[in-house]
Amino acid sequence: MSFSTPDGSEERRIHPAGMLLAALGTVRRWIGLAAFPGIAALFNGQFGMQTLFLVLLAAALLALLSAVWGVLSWRATTYRVAGGAFHLKRGVIQKSERSLPLDRIQSVDTVRGVVQRLFGVIEVRIEAAGGGGEPEISLPALSRSAVQTLREELTSGRRASPKIPEEPAPTVLRRLSVRDLFLAGLTSGQIGIAASVVFGAWQTVNELLPSNLVERVSESILPRAFSTALLFVFAVVLFAWAFAVLGTVLAHAGFTLSRSADGKYLYIMRGLLERHEATIPLARIQAIKAVEGILRQPFGLAMLRVESAGYGTEEGVSTILFPLLPRKEVEELLRLAVPRFATSLDNLEPLPLRARRRYAFRAALPVLLISALAVFFFFWGLFAFLFVLPAALYGLFRYHVAGYGLDGDQLILRFRRLARMTVIVPRRRLQSRGYSVSPFQKRLGLATFEIEVASGSGGAAFRLADVGAETAEGLIEDLSDRSGRLSAQGSST
Amino acid sequence: MKAEPEQRLDPRAKLLWRLTGTLQAVPILAGGLLGSYALATQADVLPYLTVLPVLGALAVAVLLVFVLPPLLWRRWRYEIRPLEVDLQRGFVRVTRTLVPMARVQHVDTRRGPLQRRLGLSTVVFYTAAGPNEIPQLAQKTAAEVRDRIAELTRTADEL
Repeated sequence: MSFSTPDGSEERRIHPAGMLLAALGTVRRWIGLAAFPGIAALFNGQFGMQTLFLVLLAAALLALLSAVWGVLSWRATTYRVAGGAFHLKRGVIQKSERSLPLDRIQSVDTVRGVVQRLFGVIEVRIEAAGGGGEPEISLPALSRSAVQTLREELTSGRRASPKIPEEPAPTVLRRLSVRDLFLAGLTSGQIGIAASVVFGAWQTVNELLPSNLVERVSESILPRAFSTALLFVFAVVLFAWAFAVLGTVLAHAGFTLSRSADGKYLYIMRGLLERHEATIPLARIQAIKAVEGILRQPFGLAMLRVESAGYGTEEGVSTILFPLLPRKEVEELLRLAVPRFATSLDNLEPLPLRARRRYAFRAALPVLLISALAVFFFFWGLFAFLFVLPAALYGLFRYHVAGYGLDGDQLILRFRRLARMTVIVPRRRLQSRGYSVSPFQKRLGLATFEIEVASGSGGAAFRLADVGAETAEGLIEDLSDRSGRLSAQGSST
Repeated sequence: MKAEPEQRLDPRAKLLWRLTGTLQAVPILAGGLLGSYALATQADVLPYLTVLPVLGALAVAVLLVFVLPPLLWRRWRYEIRPLEVDLQRGFVRVTRTLVPMARVQHVDTRRGPLQRRLGLSTVVFYTAAGPNEIPQLAQKTAAEVRDRIAELTRTADEL
């Protein structure tokens, strides 16, 4: 499976299972086209032999072309590690060759999907640091030994020192228990999304099946009474809930957070059908977020996320560090996993009292405007005003949560976006800091404090509305590099 | 902390913003005219209501061309200090941003076709969180600001 190149390194192909994976990928992309005649026929109400034949023909053609494509693209894909860089050649028609310097490699993650597990192969994802929008490299199928070799080659190039023969095993910091896994699913707050999916599926079925069948079925299930309709809604919610739990279980089963022996990397392993293994270099972590969802906060439960630079271009900007743990244990886990971010989440400074009405007003204003518009168009729009008070109350709810703190080099911001969020950022990770003042805020001597941290290939901004103007200025002053150096000197002498 | 950053943008910024404001105002005015025309010919409304779209568009145009440019210019301030860049901008909501020199990755100057005609230039400096701009500086000033930031970035890194 390998042949030599002039500079002595080997060009290697991926595991032959890659052919199948490439073919399946193509099928997944084009399946809509094969199904198209069938769907068209369904909507026209004439699903005869002819359309069936067309669908089968399209499917067969697609399968054949995909298989050919899979073999060709497998043949065209080779990789090698040479001259301090990782090289990837690919492309059947349009040839491409990418080189990634080893010192730019951020992490080497592995994923084992269902198909990969069937063949005992592993997908390897190589993430590059920074470099704005540069896509990660993915090798869809490598054998276990090939992964081992590649990992060694990639990391030995990175470490200048001679390779340590046997790397000590990473320490496991925390495992998600089965009980917590289900708890995480039950409180995930994705019920709403799941409910709409279930409802949508029901409607699709409703439209696709012959109408009299649906009527007969629903009449037998759903007698006309109101109470049974309620029961139906209840069933949908229950079903959706089960769905949400299932999703969480699939994604987070066996979630294990561990730390390398040298303390430079965190490893995350998770997933039931698809096993994910991810590496997070500690040096790249920009901020930590503790998220307490609406359903979790009452039980004192939180999720931890990390904002990490040049990472997760695919999975959005932040990665889950741990899906569910008691709030009381957050500080402890931070101390173990990311000592630089360890700080207490309590003892934050509240916002000034005069900020209270700003929060209430800000939450109520959009509802007020919509209500006014509704009344303008029809009389019953008056009812929209009923929502103004709850909105204002939600604003107060947000006010009471909001706060800030400065613990040594750590800036801590807390605010509510439905979920209660606490963000921890060390001074050195602030890419910019500042504040903005609206005319309303100016009257009350308030300002919105704003910071930016690096995240993914861009940035993430965090804002805390309505801190005192003098507080905002003070924070900005205290967070400057100058005062950072002074305090460092002060502590060293 | 200082009350306001010291430096202002080049006064020609106002002219440039007037020009770009005019370019934005043209489609808005056209839309207003179309709206009034539609009201006058199609709908059964009171005659004085038909002029409302045109008046609205006119108000926005006046704002864009005559009112906003000088106000924005008066508010826009910057200062390059040894340890950080200090920016202040905004019309309704005034924003103040401080970017530490040690976080600046690189600096560019950039010039659009209109800017080139007026001899203006925009300084863009990047942190890991994205770009920050100081727009509409005289070309020479922009080059100086760029070089100074680059210089200070180097010394800040050595600290």
